[in-house]
Amino acid sequence: MATGGEKHGFRRHRPRAGQTVLSPVAVSLAPSEQIRSLAWLSDPALSELGLEEFLDELLVRVRDVLAVDTVAILLYDPETDQLVARAAKGIEEEVERGVRVPVGQGFAGRIAAERVAIFIEDVDHADILNPILRDKGIHSLLGVPLIVEGDLIGVLHVGSLTARMFDERDLAMLQAAAARAAPGIERARLVSAFEREHRVAMVLQRSLLPKRLVELTGVAAAARYLPATDEVGGDWYDIFELPRGRLGVAIGDVVGHGVRAAALMGQLRTALHAYAAEGHGPARTLELVDRFVQAMPEPAMATAAYGVLNTDTGLLTVASAGHPPPLVVRRDGVDVVDVRPAPPLGAIPYGSCTEVEVIVGPGEMVILYTDGLVERPAVPLSDSIDLLRGIVGGGHSAEEICRVAFDQLIPEGGPRDDVAIVAVENAEIPAELHMRLAADPRVLADTRRVLRRWLRAGGAGDQDTVEITLAVSEACTNAIEHAYSPAPAHLQLHASMVDGQARFVVSDAGSWRMPRGTNRGRGLKIIEAAMDEVAVDTAPSGTQIVMTRRLGR
Amino acid sequence: MRLADVQLTAAGRVVVARLTGELDLSNTANIGGALAENVPNSALAVILDLTDIEYLDSAGISLIYELREKLRARGQSLRLVIPSGSPANDALRLAGVSGHVVTAETVQAALAELS
Repeated sequence: MATGGEKHGFRRHRPRAGQTVLSPVAVSLAPSEQIRSLAWLSDPALSELGLEEFLDELLVRVRDVLAVDTVAILLYDPETDQLVARAAKGIEEEVERGVRVPVGQGFAGRIAAERVAIFIEDVDHADILNPILRDKGIHSLLGVPLIVEGDLIGVLHVGSLTARMFDERDLAMLQAAAARAAPGIERARLVSAFEREHRVAMVLQRSLLPKRLVELTGVAAAARYLPATDEVGGDWYDIFELPRGRLGVAIGDVVGHGVRAAALMGQLRTALHAYAAEGHGPARTLELVDRFVQAMPEPAMATAAYGVLNTDTGLLTVASAGHPPPLVVRRDGVDVVDVRPAPPLGAIPYGSCTEVEVIVGPGEMVILYTDGLVERPAVPLSDSIDLLRGIVGGGHSAEEICRVAFDQLIPEGGPRDDVAIVAVENAEIPAELHMRLAADPRVLADTRRVLRRWLRAGGAGDQDTVEITLAVSEACTNAIEHAYSPAPAHLQLHASMVDGQARFVVSDAGSWRMPRGTNRGRGLKIIEAAMDEVAVDTAPSGTQIVMTRRLGR
Repeated sequence: MRLADVQLTAAGRVVVARLTGELDLSNTANIGGALAENVPNSALAVILDLTDIEYLDSAGISLIYELREKLRARGQSLRLVIPSGSPANDALRLAGVSGHVVTAETVQAALAELS
């Protein structure tokens, strides 16, 4: 319970669960140190900063001047009548978790409702709503309202991890900081509605694009996205794994701009991904997304292209709904994929989509892009696409292609329309495989895919591929099961092909245990049945299993 | 991307469990657990449909044997649908257990056997 009051010069208004309400105090501090501190808080240089930097700098200064452990600013949201954590030092989680406090409740809520400074000596005995303050072990708190021209705009509070009697000078300084902060915040909040919408759309757009491109051995993917300079549109791209070592690559462009286009983009991207994951091919997937758009309460339209790349065979199946044609970068040139585009999504009831198949061989790349990349005033689209073909023609990797396309096609000062490009490269298949694998069962599926791809490239038929893959996966499984734990262990897989004979070596640093029980016995049986020769070599340094099989046996 | 998926449908008092995707050491424990847990006690039998399984090895074969034991303890029987030429069939053949397990070519055939 705060005993605070009198000896610190505070006047207590009315007691309430551990809180002491304080009267504002006049700033009448003589010691030169305090004056310097206050001058520091009202440094004119702060005015030059943007809101983020301004709050950041202000909080750091408040923390240092008052020698506290935490400082936070909560801003008032009139729509919900809540305070929202906006900036913090020491308890950044408050902002990260978007802490909201109803006005009138708890520590900050009461400061806002009653527009008074409140001091809490012991958080454990007070009415605190924000669990983070307790979790972080805050002991004492002091907070003041942020007021501009009579309107409450938020709350500024400081906290100490140890018991602390904040005194009159502390309060005076916090009030000075609040007086300095409030107009700056208000000014920054008075951004035009247009700017705010732009920012919201941008955040939405960013949050809806993939955070990380799929990591699939045998393919390399790269992508770029840039929103229009003055108005965010609804471009999107997506890359996702599908069953049987296939990769889905999608790109789209929602007609319209701003928050609505960005939100619609998010819906279409999700719908496309969901239909694709159901196993529908590219044409049917786009038809289903079209039906989804048709069923929306408000008219909407978008173009999109969607392709499925079989990473085993390099077969790309692709369909388009009113979207510019994909390109395939080959060793000797750049092909425009001749896919007849269906009407844009949402344009015509029951639009029908067709798909085409092209091979994207090892070392070749497929490129999808939005019209913002190629469209130029008064230039026919086919000429613009030829320009893009010329630019990407020299590219050696998906990453390089995205980079040069953006470097050379984005005009000075930024694009007028959203721009997106995604490139997927079917990687070269090496003559010999050397894989270092973590001793973790989750590596098995990916290892099998790499192996199947390598086997097909080496001329293995279906039966060879199925049986060899089984045997090698069993050998890896055995090494994983017997890996030394708990230290991270690895195993090596080496595969080579000489005169139609495939040879595999799986080695680990563990000791081979003769399979026990019927379960592991079956694994070894499979290996022996699938291979021509099997040798297990156990040495103190580790175990090696060597397997060979003649293709087409 | 999940490696495999389980879909259960009831056909009278028979549960048809359709597995898709790939079964290996990384997921057999979870799949086996999901199968045993989601089959109601009222079911008389389970048909494990491996028609659309793209990969299965000794870990998957163990799953079949273990599931059979679990079901048997509850008085329920297990029928396998493994078409000839399917990846699951290749694994059973190479492991030398084809002769020890009764399989049906289709779910319909397995249902007919049970009725």
